[in-house]
Amino acid sequence: MRQFGLFYRKEMLEMARSYKWIWVPMVFLLLGVMQPVTTYYMPEILKHAGNMPAGTIITMPTPTSGEVLAQTLNQFGTIGVLVLVLSMMGIVSGERQSGVTSLIFTKPVSFIAYMTAKWASILTLTVAAFACGYAGACYYTIQLIGSLDVGTVIQAGLMYMLWFVFVISVLLLISAWLPNSAGVAFTTMAFIMLLSFGTSLLSRYLSWSPSRLSTIASEILTKVETLSSVGPVLWISLCSVLICVMLAVYRMQSQESISAKA
Amino acid sequence: MTLLKVDQLSKQFKQHQAVKKISFSIEEGRCVALLGPNGAGKTTTIHMLTGLLRPTSGDIQLYHQGRQVADRRPHLGYLPQMPVFYSWMTGREFVQYAGQLAGLSRQEAERCTEEWFEIVGIQDAAKRRIGGYSGGMKQRLGLAQALIHRPKLLILDEPVSALDPIGRRDVLRILERIRQETTILFSTHILHDAEEICDDIILIEQGEIAVQGSLEHIRQSHSEPMIMIETLNEAQAKALEIAIRNNPYVNHVASEHQTLRVTVSNLEEAERGIMTEAVQHHVFIRKLEAGHSTLEDLFMKVVRA
Repeated sequence: MRQFGLFYRKEMLEMARSYKWIWVPMVFLLLGVMQPVTTYYMPEILKHAGNMPAGTIITMPTPTSGEVLAQTLNQFGTIGVLVLVLSMMGIVSGERQSGVTSLIFTKPVSFIAYMTAKWASILTLTVAAFACGYAGACYYTIQLIGSLDVGTVIQAGLMYMLWFVFVISVLLLISAWLPNSAGVAFTTMAFIMLLSFGTSLLSRYLSWSPSRLSTIASEILTKVETLSSVGPVLWISLCSVLICVMLAVYRMQSQESISAKA
Repeated sequence: MTLLKVDQLSKQFKQHQAVKKISFSIEEGRCVALLGPNGAGKTTTIHMLTGLLRPTSGDIQLYHQGRQVADRRPHLGYLPQMPVFYSWMTGREFVQYAGQLAGLSRQEAERCTEEWFEIVGIQDAAKRRIGGYSGGMKQRLGLAQALIHRPKLLILDEPVSALDPIGRRDVLRILERIRQETTILFSTHILHDAEEICDDIILIEQGEIAVQGSLEHIRQSHSEPMIMIETLNEAQAKALEIAIRNNPYVNHVASEHQTLRVTVSNLEEAERGIMTEAVQHHVFIRKLEAGHSTLEDLFMKVVRA
């Protein structure tokens, strides 16, 4: 427990010194704010686009505030995930690559503390960044489009958050598995994309897939009757998170050589 | 009292067997050099001792107060060949962090950090980011983080190989000081460093122990009568080598440019014989010295064999 605290503090400090605490939440805030703002000004933007023939009439249905927020979540799901993966890809593999692990693991340290502290630190940053972006989106949606139901917003936010937790757990596992950071980013992104794609393609068979979480969050916001039952998805996601973290710890522990450069 | 006992330790990488069933033990309070040419298996052995690499087979035992310990790491301090730190940390932060990881309380870690910075002589750089440290400073910082928890055994991988002469001298001086309280095992391919501060030597070559024992003992038991001959040029040296090679008094001939180093069985007989051969083959002898082989001759013999 004491070592967990040490590792966690170190990770927090590293994220602060490498400015991750500034730019990751900034990107999310930007993403969150952009969606309601562009939706609101869309007719204006189109009018000024300038290449419409004279007399064109554009009628656009004004989206509901819930729909706008659901679109924001979609943005988080693509660019947001990419930013998270790119900023955290070296969390384990980077340290092994550089060789600093050979100083750390010759001290009597616990693998469990080391890995869980890393997981907790990415989780902290992710929650903070997501909260920033989501709050920004809500604020501008309320200002520009219309009021939101607080309960629904929180429910959808938590659902979506769990999807992010799943993503970072996969990231941690792959970072423990592969020796180089670029490979980690690629594999994680490929896995997440395949999972999302596969789930939407075979939605009947994969109704329990963790990537349903993002769909469920959107459905809550747009008040569409949900296709899948939420229970199994929640359980499967939580279990996968747990399994990913445990496997990541196991992988570190069972490695023949701790430093990648041995 | 035995501190570390290594029994039949082997490491097999895919095709290549890096370490082949080596056994040795280290007595408490000694300074031991793990000597060998590049690629002999020194670093692999050290990685296994520190727990960074899992041995293919064999056993490593560390004793603390007479009893074998389950986890060696609390009693070990380790400095890798090219220590890498978190470049965004300051020197002081890193050593404190290392100390706390090794089990010191925050206050203890802070106090010991200042002490060790003083000893290794980088107190002025303590609050600078490690990213801006020079190679020599990193080596000293590495020593400080390895020693902060007062380990029983300090393991160093090529601690001075990458340093300039001044840095090398400083690190050796620090080691000289630490060895009063800690057992030291360090690897090197430079014989001179080993001779300077070590009590014992383990010479390994191609994953096997070639020679081991105390420096004194090795000096005596492996010292053979030897004649060093300097001729006019390389061609003459070659000619003389061919002439004397098969004589019964010659054990081994090593040639280097115009110089021959001949290990012999009997100095007097050999000297007379060599002179006769030189006269016969019209070899001009610039210098002839009769003496005994040094540790370096032994090292070269083992490595070249």
